[in-house]
Amino acid sequence: MNYLDLTIKEIHNALLEKKVTVTELTKEAIKRAKENCDNAFELILEDEPLKKAEELDKLPVPVDNLLFGIPFVSKDNFSTKDIETTGSSNILNGYIPLFNATVIEKLENANAILIGKATLDELAMGGTGTSGHKGTTYNPYDKTHSHLIGGSSCGSAVSVASGIVPFSLGSDTGDSVRKPANNAGLVGFKPTWGRISRFGLFPFAPSLDHVAYFTRDVFDSAYLLNILAGHDDKDSTSSLEKIDDYTTYSKDIKGKRFAVIKEIEDSITDEVLNKRFKFILKELENKGAIIERVSIDKRLLESIYPSYFVISCAEATSNNANLDGIKFGPYYGGKTYQEVMFNARTNGFSNLIKRRFVIGSYALMRENQHDLFLRAQKARRIITNKFNEVLNKYDYIINLASPSVAPEIGKASDKLSNEYLIADNYLAFANFGGQPSITLPIGFKDDLPFGVNVTSKIFTELNLFTAANAIEEITGFSNLSVNNYKNKEEK
Amino acid sequence: MKKVTKEVLVDASNRLLFTMSDEEFDLLLEEFDTLTKQFNLIGEIEGVDEEKPMTFPYEVYQYTLREDIPCKPLKKEEVLKNAGSVQDGQIKLPKVL
Repeated sequence: MNYLDLTIKEIHNALLEKKVTVTELTKEAIKRAKENCDNAFELILEDEPLKKAEELDKLPVPVDNLLFGIPFVSKDNFSTKDIETTGSSNILNGYIPLFNATVIEKLENANAILIGKATLDELAMGGTGTSGHKGTTYNPYDKTHSHLIGGSSCGSAVSVASGIVPFSLGSDTGDSVRKPANNAGLVGFKPTWGRISRFGLFPFAPSLDHVAYFTRDVFDSAYLLNILAGHDDKDSTSSLEKIDDYTTYSKDIKGKRFAVIKEIEDSITDEVLNKRFKFILKELENKGAIIERVSIDKRLLESIYPSYFVISCAEATSNNANLDGIKFGPYYGGKTYQEVMFNARTNGFSNLIKRRFVIGSYALMRENQHDLFLRAQKARRIITNKFNEVLNKYDYIINLASPSVAPEIGKASDKLSNEYLIADNYLAFANFGGQPSITLPIGFKDDLPFGVNVTSKIFTELNLFTAANAIEEITGFSNLSVNNYKNKEEK
Repeated sequence: MKKVTKEVLVDASNRLLFTMSDEEFDLLLEEFDTLTKQFNLIGEIEGVDEEKPMTFPYEVYQYTLREDIPCKPLKKEEVLKNAGSVQDGQIKLPKVL
């Protein structure tokens, strides 16, 4: 048996029972990372993690710290002290942060072991996993490399789905963890906005950015929130709201009310996915849950993506103004200081990112602000109010996380279709309103996984894990990975 | 709203302190055809212009102030180690005057 194929809790038990050592685990994780062919890593660490592992092996394994000696991977947009952090952008090549992001610090303090920095869409501004400076990151479920893993947290998703590590850090501004979780058969979770400190996370669109993460198991996801949640003086937007023990979620779904948004359901045409989704709903009903269809005006749902696009591009335009090639990143010289910045930004950003910045700048122009940026912010309020209205009547909103399994690389979507505008991009509503939201696997089509997404009211993570646990019980897809999925029967 | 033309997009990129190739500007102009149709959907939401803009996911009230605790600043050498142009302990840039 390979212990990296187990959940965090199971690996912890193996460490406690001395069936495996931290050094053995770490060596195997590094070996698997090096063998991976999906372009998942910006950087694989070796000396530091092995040194730490050897030190931990001299200590007794604490019964109450499940993360002790557990290898993990971080998306490369979290600052890691003395470790190069590029955000998968050439403009940050060679940048060595002087401090750790708060979440990295918390995981280090819990004696989890960082073994690598994962690829992402450049500066987290993408959803395909194809735009980082190292090129496309591939879906490990398809050895022919013809399907996307999705992004922007592409390398983080691969590292957990491939059994390299049992959890990884990502970030979620529109759906950047919850969408790749659909494509990778993983539990992808983002908490309430403000629940986890974002200090040290490269900002993309701070009014929408969340720290998020991947696991292969709902319990692990809840446990990680125990470690990562909490107020941080270094992040003024982090919340003072009380923290729960998130692993104490109820196992009883009886009487819980689920709203299926009818227009999202109707915009999905894949019969295999729809049939499986209906089966999951039926099984939830059999467990005593109440399932009802709720309507939301299609115009509101169609506006989520364009509103998200305008707001995120506009925020990104100003947030990345500090990337000037002077304080950090490659220096290209120039005759004036403006030319120095111009050269650094022209050479450092990819064409895709530049186009997004120009769109953001266009939305912010004085003549356009009212019709684009401010109008998108107004739409955001209407959309959020509508979803919150539903969540005031129901415990959860539940729908398929995506209209399909992982798309083929290079396959163009009709960007004005309902499938694209609604089913493919609705998850951003939970970034608008900051609600906790989780994607977890429910089935397979053509050997590729797909998932369901569940969202609840802000600061009701405990209740959200109850729903996720019930779905995991129904599917039996706990701890799914490319190494074991063929042994797991679809219930 | 300002009409989307190549000149407007070039002006925007100059303000952002970078340039792109002609082909990229042409591609962006093409993208704007779809984007404009998508953006128009926002305007179709009933009562959208009467609503207040939303800048954060929910109302955040922060009543506490941080303690005024002195901390050690970073060393100059540390701060400068990521800069590409350094001379005599300072970041060096072309003369302004």
